[in-house]
Amino acid sequence: MPTSTIKNQAKSDHIDSVVSLSEKKTSSSKSELDCQCPVVKAENFSFYYGSKAGVKDISMEFYPCSVTAIIGPSGCGKSTFLRSINRINDLIPNTSVKGNLFVNGHNVYDKNTNLVNLRQQVGMVFQKPNPFPKSIFDNIAYGPKLQGVKSRSKLQQIVEESLKAAALWKEVKDDLKKSALALSGGQQQRLCIARALATKPNTLLMDEPCSALDPIATGKIEDLIGRLQSDYTIVIVTHSMQQAARISRRTAFFCLGELIEYGSTVDIFRNPGKKQTEDYVTGRFG
Amino acid sequence: MENTITNREAEPVAESNDLSLVLTPLEDLRGFLFHHLGRLLLFLITSSSVIAVFLIFFFVIREAMPFIKEHDLIKFLTSKQWYPEADTPKFGALSMIVGSAYVTVASLIFAVPVGILAAVFLSDIVSFRIREIVKPVIEILAAIPSVAYGFFAVLVLAPWLQNKFGFTTGTNALNASIILSIMALPTIISVAEDSISTVGRELREASYGLGATRFETIFKVVLPTAHSGIIAAVILGMMRAIGETMVVWMASGNAAQIPAPWWNLSQSVRTMTASIAGEMGETVKGSDHYYSLFATGVLLLILIFTLNLISEYFLVSAKKKLGKI
Amino acid sequence: MKYNTRHIINKIFTVVTAASVVLMIVILISVLGPMIWRGSSAVFFKSTVEFRKMQLDLHHRGDEAEIGDEISKSEIYRDFIYHKIDVFKKGINTDYYTDRVKQIYRKFSKELQYNGIKGDQLSRRRKFARGIRRDMEKAFKSLDKAEILQIIDDVNKCKGDERIANTKADEFFVLADEYKETIKNFDLSKRQQYAQALKEVEGLVRQLLGPRSDEPLPAMVMDRYGATRVDLAKELLDKIIWKRQWVQQNPDKPMVEEKVRRATQFAGTELESIFPYIEENFDTITIPRFTFYWQYFFDDSTSGHYFGGVGPEILGTLILTVLAMAFVFPLGVISAAYLVECASDNMAVRIIRMSINTLAGVPSIVFGLFGLAFFVLVFIPFFGGPSKPCILAASLTLAVLTLPVMIRASEEAIRSVPKTYKEASLGLGAGRFRTFVKVTFPAALPGILTGVILSLSRVAGETAPILFTGACAFGSVPKSLFSQTRTLSYGSYDIAVGDKIGMLVPHNQYGMVVTLVLLIICLNAIAIFFRAKIFRRLKGH
Ligand SMILES: Nc1ncnc2c1ncn2[C@@H]1O[C@H](COP(=O)(O)OP(=O)(O)O)[C@@H](O)[C@H]1O
Ligand SMILES: [Mg+2]
Repeated sequence: MPTSTIKNQAKSDHIDSVVSLSEKKTSSSKSELDCQCPVVKAENFSFYYGSKAGVKDISMEFYPCSVTAIIGPSGCGKSTFLRSINRINDLIPNTSVKGNLFVNGHNVYDKNTNLVNLRQQVGMVFQKPNPFPKSIFDNIAYGPKLQGVKSRSKLQQIVEESLKAAALWKEVKDDLKKSALALSGGQQQRLCIARALATKPNTLLMDEPCSALDPIATGKIEDLIGRLQSDYTIVIVTHSMQQAARISRRTAFFCLGELIEYGSTVDIFRNPGKKQTEDYVTGRFG
Repeated sequence: MENTITNREAEPVAESNDLSLVLTPLEDLRGFLFHHLGRLLLFLITSSSVIAVFLIFFFVIREAMPFIKEHDLIKFLTSKQWYPEADTPKFGALSMIVGSAYVTVASLIFAVPVGILAAVFLSDIVSFRIREIVKPVIEILAAIPSVAYGFFAVLVLAPWLQNKFGFTTGTNALNASIILSIMALPTIISVAEDSISTVGRELREASYGLGATRFETIFKVVLPTAHSGIIAAVILGMMRAIGETMVVWMASGNAAQIPAPWWNLSQSVRTMTASIAGEMGETVKGSDHYYSLFATGVLLLILIFTLNLISEYFLVSAKKKLGKI
Repeated sequence: MKYNTRHIINKIFTVVTAASVVLMIVILISVLGPMIWRGSSAVFFKSTVEFRKMQLDLHHRGDEAEIGDEISKSEIYRDFIYHKIDVFKKGINTDYYTDRVKQIYRKFSKELQYNGIKGDQLSRRRKFARGIRRDMEKAFKSLDKAEILQIIDDVNKCKGDERIANTKADEFFVLADEYKETIKNFDLSKRQQYAQALKEVEGLVRQLLGPRSDEPLPAMVMDRYGATRVDLAKELLDKIIWKRQWVQQNPDKPMVEEKVRRATQFAGTELESIFPYIEENFDTITIPRFTFYWQYFFDDSTSGHYFGGVGPEILGTLILTVLAMAFVFPLGVISAAYLVECASDNMAVRIIRMSINTLAGVPSIVFGLFGLAFFVLVFIPFFGGPSKPCILAASLTLAVLTLPVMIRASEEAIRSVPKTYKEASLGLGAGRFRTFVKVTFPAALPGILTGVILSLSRVAGETAPILFTGACAFGSVPKSLFSQTRTLSYGSYDIAVGDKIGMLVPHNQYGMVVTLVLLIICLNAIAIFFRAKIFRRLKGH
């Protein structure tokens, strides 16, 4: 599995290079980190599967126009937290929440939440590319159509824009009628990103978007994320610390359902405040 | 789903430029109606199968009621005298009950071993490709309508039996049993194969690892582990055989008698289902005979319902067992 | 146990399991093979000129001039056979001669009266003629050839007698000579036996060639034509050439069947020659031609399915299945959708699941009882319909029967739609209803269709539930939902055991059941194909 090899690399002495890498990218913008209003804000948020807690007592904020990475050992609740933000977890029976979770200032677990609007604003990209078994065009037009866009030319335009934004236009512009399932894994994932962009969200949640992809496709997706971050709030869950260091400005470290540490990526990798974090990023976790 | 919701004033952190996350009251109402009424509607539609079962029991029992009230049930179940159209009619269904049991058991004697062996063959012995060839054979065997089997029994098998073995009649218990066993086979195979192949690979590997042959592995490990599912398969096959109508009506000879000596398969018998099918057309609605046929139907229904419960018990316990492993 | 024995047991076990599967395949082949082989002869066969005549009469099929030509060609040969039979008949059935002789006598006495002969003269001459008549009648009845010849000689001596000279009574002598000629080659002691045998031959010839053209048209359509198929005609030919009889050779042993040539049976008579004649000219008489009778699937049949096809049965089956599917499809899909998408594991859902399982186990004949007790007697009358078995009641019964099949198949199909599709759709802001309609349902549709096809095949084959709720063995094509219909399934039952005429036309018996079986196997094959395709697609090919 590609994820585990990457992790193993991180475990070894390569950690220094990782940190230096992230430093280059983020040190300049450190001053502007805290000056913006958060788009997503959790307050003592807990999520339960039956009686078992998926995440416990999380308080954190995500800021606009930046990439935030969530890292942590598997099973620590990264996905759970991410999926509670746009309430996709509603699908799972017997779940309950405690605490508050605000998106654009609105508590999404309020009774009167407009789920449709919420999910349109908070787009999501899943671990495994999951295009519908329809044509490329229909996949991307799906969201806009739901929003009531009917005119063919408008749809065409949205599809083109989204595909361009997801850096896929050049590769597929000639066969938009082709089944999306015929694309390669990396293309499928970019298609999923394009599909999410087509609903014009302001936040993108990505749950290990590269873990099912090969290194080249991963590189392309990372480039894409780097380009998108100027317009969107991006939250990315990742297994790979290198990836977190490469692309994110802030990093949160989860462990056993709790938020251990949250801060600028440089700090998390350079001077972790907690022992657990340090163990994890230096590969001594276990 | 229950969400513990803490209502708090939302603090405006960042302004959303396009869509409001708050439902307008109208949207709220529409959503409420859509959700709850829609769900209720779906639930009601889904309950149609419950309603169907209820109606079946209710109406069949209702038509049987006049008979049950006026006649001695014990006699109905224990007397061999079935003369429904005589001047002093007699309603003793014993020979029909025995007939049903007779052909069912006889058919299972053949179908169970063959079915289980075939299931083992499909799950443990052959390659995927051969299974892909054999599966449609089983499916087609299951799909051939019972009237076609009956046709085969009357026009092909009966004359053959008569010529080959010198029976007085070719339509007899043996004929019906042979065809019933063919019909029960697909059910037995598919249910048994399901339960055999859900026995984990680990168990098999453990057994092989200890030096057991395939035969030993299957008989000492796989089949004992899968026994609940196999019992369920046998019961389901049995239900198929008991409930079958056209074949026994056409092939069993329809003589309301208990074979004597009991092992003599070459005699004609009559089953409950055949009796209903054959006599209902000739009765007058509202006569005792008519009601007695419904009473036979109730008997069948109770029998099948009980068997169904038993099979379900075994299927559930098979599932539980595999959950534990 | 020794290693060797264990090893051998293992091998034997493998062989036994394989044998059980092989046994199943053998069963399938031996059930389907002969049935399909014989059933296909309902459609592909060699037809005789009688078939084309029948098609022309009943359905106006074929070229009238050409068929007329064929008939007249065949008639030339037939006339020879008929002629021989007629001649032979005269020797046996002397009623013909007795009638003639009486006629001649009557004509004679009328002639006398006409010529004004009266009184004594009249009675004297009549008496003489009466004497001749009586002698001749005696000769016709007699079984002794010598006696007959004697009588005829005596009669001939009266020729030229003044009492009868130059009157109609001269015909007596012509008749006497004719009779003499007839019995010349005739063993009179066998007259009784011949009468029997002739009847048989005449019956067989009639079956082979149909009624003679000068006869009045028989009332039953099946009697109007001879053998329409060469296979049946060959059988008849064999019966005509060979007589089968049971003989007891030894008092202790059972009787044995014995074949005798009819030609030897009729040796020395007029009839002897027709047997080799029919055999030699079989092809010119029947004019065999290979026929693909595709109209079999559309034609109505004459009573007892003697002629014609299974059109109304196919139509009835289609109507019933399509109606039943129309009832059960929405119910099945919605139920399945509810069970997958909305249901949590509570009491109500458990009861629903148990009901579905129970429903799947109820014997089909009990569905028939239920259909009768509920749909026929209560439900349809409640809405103002007639309280009798009808298509509507039958299809409703079948719908209830197939409900569990439909629900299970749809549930499986909906469940097998990857969860990620649903998540993706919800993540894009679609509601649950829309997600189901736009994503889940289309993705599940092939699976659901597979279920539909399987239900269809189940419904098409069921007989017991429609016995009392809407199937009938004969009757016209249904005019409304409230009339009964013929179906392939019930027809297969009826033609196999219900109707004796069916035994005479095995090709139609098998044709009916094979139509049903092939219909169902085709449906299943489509379903299997569909499923394989879905399977491949889900695996990502
Ligand atoms: N559908 C579910 N039902 C019950 N427990 C779940 C479910 N999904 C996840 N969990 C549990 O919640 C915990 C967090 O899981 P997850 O958020 O998927 O972890 P991560 O994404 O960090 O690997 C795990 O212990 C897991 O077992
Ligand atoms: Mg995860």
